[in-house]
Amino acid sequence: MANKNKKQNQTTPKESEISLKGTFISVMLLGVFILALWFGSYALFLSR
Amino acid sequence: MMLKNYNFTKKESRLYMSFMYVTFASLLIGGLMGLLQTLARSGEFQLPFGINYYTILTVHGVILGLVLTTFFIVGFQFALMGKTVGISDKQLKWAWIAFWTMLVGTIMAAVTILVGQANVLYTFYAPLRAHPAFYFGLALVIVGSWIAVFTNFRQLYVWKKANPGQKSPLLAFMVTINMAMWFIASLGVATSVLVQFIPWSLGYAATINVLLSRTLFWYFGHPLVYFWLLPAYMAWYAIIPKIIGGKLFSDSLARLAFILLLLFSIPVGFHHQLTEPGIDPTWKFIQVVLTFMVIIPSLMTAFSIFGTFEVRGRKLGYKGLFGWLRNLPWNDVRFLAPFIGMVAFIPGGAGGIVNASHQMNALIHNTIWVTGHFHLTVATTVILTYFGMAYWLVPHLTGRRLTPKLNKLGIIQTIIWTVGMAIMSTAMHIQGLLGGPRRSAFSNYMGGEQVETWISYQIAQAVGGTILFIGIILMIYIFIQLAFFAPKGVQEFPIAEEEVDAEPTPLILENWYLWIGITIALILFAYTIPVIDIIKHSPPGSIPFDWPIGR
Repeated sequence: MANKNKKQNQTTPKESEISLKGTFISVMLLGVFILALWFGSYALFLSR
Repeated sequence: MMLKNYNFTKKESRLYMSFMYVTFASLLIGGLMGLLQTLARSGEFQLPFGINYYTILTVHGVILGLVLTTFFIVGFQFALMGKTVGISDKQLKWAWIAFWTMLVGTIMAAVTILVGQANVLYTFYAPLRAHPAFYFGLALVIVGSWIAVFTNFRQLYVWKKANPGQKSPLLAFMVTINMAMWFIASLGVATSVLVQFIPWSLGYAATINVLLSRTLFWYFGHPLVYFWLLPAYMAWYAIIPKIIGGKLFSDSLARLAFILLLLFSIPVGFHHQLTEPGIDPTWKFIQVVLTFMVIIPSLMTAFSIFGTFEVRGRKLGYKGLFGWLRNLPWNDVRFLAPFIGMVAFIPGGAGGIVNASHQMNALIHNTIWVTGHFHLTVATTVILTYFGMAYWLVPHLTGRRLTPKLNKLGIIQTIIWTVGMAIMSTAMHIQGLLGGPRRSAFSNYMGGEQVETWISYQIAQAVGGTILFIGIILMIYIFIQLAFFAPKGVQEFPIAEEEVDAEPTPLILENWYLWIGITIALILFAYTIPVIDIIKHSPPGSIPFDWPIGR
């Protein structure tokens, strides 16, 4: 049991070592969506 | 650090369930009114028995926007407080007083609307006048909620005394933020109801300052939408991580986001009044800037949620940029319903930024785009998260279990809701951009090219509304099953814990004097001068109007 725990601790990376690239890209895509909707609506405003 | 969670006694569970009964009864009544509205606006149906369109519109808004939300929130937050900091017998008694005060107020207001004496919509804008019983009912709901506010404050205070030097449990901290915001904000609408509306509706005051009443309403009205949203955020930050088998992403980030939401939710009401004459444009500009500050905690929340999912997936060994998405428990309705709520908040929030931008507000102001917007935010993001919580909270309180069959029904309910709302809300957004008005009953406005472009979208809204009503019936069925008929058992109350190696939370995040002090300072800065202007320079007040709608 103790060995199993040890092994688990070795294989589980610490939170600070985990790559958060996916999170970064996701948040950036979210920002792009917000800007696209905003500028789209602004273009509509200007065209009227 | 592991905190002790409290087990509910039967007496406590009965209190929390009482709030849930009112919530789901409201869902049925309010949802039925929504169905009737979309059918009437399609132009294909007429309301039976001479029912006034504005009566059902008012019932829909008041019962869903004010009653369902407030009862769910107060009940859910009492359950969170009871679980994390405990509740004493005396506090339980006060919680019951809060419940009954709110319920009596709700019944008073609801009966007044149903007998056609308060066709004033949920915003009850002056100079439309309702019967005084409507305003007294609303006042009681607010007073009842204040009793809940101070009971929650007391619960945390007693816990802090018993646990000196310890940071408060995250969920108790979040509840306290939400209740502080609610109390500060509802002072505005309470002032308006007690000082302006009640004397005016009773005939003691001949006229009412319309601009002041609308300003006080929106001083309350914008934080109201955050009062609905913050319990959903509580679930996203501190409950969903547990459901997916993960840990809290960051206790400090969650607390900071809630503090920023407290600071920037209140001094922003003018962005609902951008077309209002009588308010200096400079102050509108300042409040729009403050409104945009709310984007910061919103994006922090998005980052934290994505991070929670990715950390969990990576720990389980999922590779690739988005491989971690595969790990999520898509077949667990406790996760799926709130997740769809999160996704809906992306267009919902982005649309909100458009609404608050002064020029573009002119594009959509008073159009049905706005209705489409808040059906994405409150009627999808918020309500699907509330449903997601109810799937485990109700059986936890009744000593039953969410069975695989009920879980499957819940998933079907979530899909029905998503489809219905996608159709209805998208149609509303497009019709709004084409100039279609909100609030009004069906009319062909004596013909016209522009009007002809609207009708197909109104029919689409009736289709979406019908699908949504099927979703409501299914949700009520699931609720009744979970409350009375599901097999006896133990349903987990999921609360996420911190990572063992988490950074300690800075003490300053719990300095209530500081944060409430800044909140009040920002409110005084944003409102003092314009309100003095409004009082000094308003046109003569208005006499009451009971026609064409009102009483």
